[in-house]
Amino acid sequence: MTARADRPYDPLDLSSLAFWSSTAAEREVTFAELRRERPISWHRPVDNGLFEDPNDQGFWAVVRHADLVEVTRRHDDFLSGEGIVFESMPQELLDAGQGFIAMDPPRHTRVRRLLTSAFTPRQMNRIDDRIEANSRRIVDGVAAKGEIDFVSEVAGLVPMHNICDMVGVPEEHRRLIAHEAQFAGGWRDESLLQGADPLTRLFEAAGTMREVCLELLAQRRAEPTDDLLSALVQAEVDGERLTDDEIVSFFGLLMVAGNDTTRQSTSHGMKALTDHPDQLAWLLEDLEARLPVAVEEIVRWATPIMTFRRTAARDCELGGQQVTAGDKVVMFYSSADFDPEVFDHPERLDLARHPNKHLAFGGGGIHHCLGNQLARRQLVSVVRELLTRLPDLQVVGEPEYGTGNFFHAVNAMTVRFTPETERARVPA
Amino acid sequence: MRVEFDADRCASVGMCESVAPDVFEVGADGYLVVLEPEPDEAHRAEVESACDSCPTGALRVEG
Repeated sequence: MTARADRPYDPLDLSSLAFWSSTAAEREVTFAELRRERPISWHRPVDNGLFEDPNDQGFWAVVRHADLVEVTRRHDDFLSGEGIVFESMPQELLDAGQGFIAMDPPRHTRVRRLLTSAFTPRQMNRIDDRIEANSRRIVDGVAAKGEIDFVSEVAGLVPMHNICDMVGVPEEHRRLIAHEAQFAGGWRDESLLQGADPLTRLFEAAGTMREVCLELLAQRRAEPTDDLLSALVQAEVDGERLTDDEIVSFFGLLMVAGNDTTRQSTSHGMKALTDHPDQLAWLLEDLEARLPVAVEEIVRWATPIMTFRRTAARDCELGGQQVTAGDKVVMFYSSADFDPEVFDHPERLDLARHPNKHLAFGGGGIHHCLGNQLARRQLVSVVRELLTRLPDLQVVGEPEYGTGNFFHAVNAMTVRFTPETERARVPA
Repeated sequence: MRVEFDADRCASVGMCESVAPDVFEVGADGYLVVLEPEPDEAHRAEVESACDSCPTGALRVEG
């Protein structure tokens, strides 16, 4: 077996800032070649710019759908506990923000179990009215304006209100928390940083989240309600209460995972509908019946989280390659969701695609997106509200996309529509 | 057809419930309950798919 240090790096680049600053279509050219020629390939460490780790020698890139599912399912071979983003990070930050997503069994199972019942399909049925009310309220807020930044006025608010309702974050803290949560994956994004030093800003964001969380915890201990924070302060794992540090970390995870994913899917979804008027017309022919299937394609198209990392627990084989204990293994969801082995014409937006075996919520492992049912409900709800009330809504110009290797981010996107009040006055 | 459930392996991920919500439910305490241990034959495909989707191999269809 070739020692890690002697392994040659793949000639294709997945590691540079330039690669992650290029467009999704440009990245797909590289992914397509890797899927075809070298599905498990070894790459130089990703350009970090945050934290230099002298021990980081590179990562395996997993780009095919089938291999991504395999890595996901082999959770004993490929661990999450050493971090789930592909950069190495200071331990304090891993502790502060990654919660149970960066844990392994058995503790992962015990902690996740505390939250599972809040996200089941049955529980979603119970909170459906809240989700609908949030969509209505958000569209109410913009319907008279005619032109808005869709990301800050719609796409960002949908998941913000819904996850904050569930977790128990009151109105006055929501915008601050949702903004700070973006730094978890957006610390290399210049437009987000606005000149701040990334590491300093990231610690500041974690500090703000912590402060708000501790304030809320004190309130819930004094007066528990039926929200998730109350459940966490009362929960026991292995006979012990969770520590404040643990709850702060789970809170961070829920806020990041809750806010920064559906925001991207909603934005990419509206952009896709503007770019594909034939698909939009098909959807509008029977909106209610077609929306759940269409949302799956929107989620595939968006694939809001582009990468997750695992770390090999032992020497083992993966897709014909010998992986060494300690190797980083990075899964590229945006590649797997365009794998032609699984998707007929993956480059086409096909809202009727069914079955749609996209991996945007994960490859079906123990870390499968806890909020997948919530995300689906929210998308159905807000897309329905928008297409019903602002049917001529169109994206104007090109969105401002984020840079970075984690979130497939849309930072700003102008949309234009006939204001609802005017439409009411002039019947079509 | 009978659903064999190994509670020790179950990690309460809920994949089964999202495929076959009438047969499986993660309860309020976070533990999985098999609502229909002997589902109707008409639901075989759905139940088999739910069992196959289990990330920890806690579910099996017998018979």
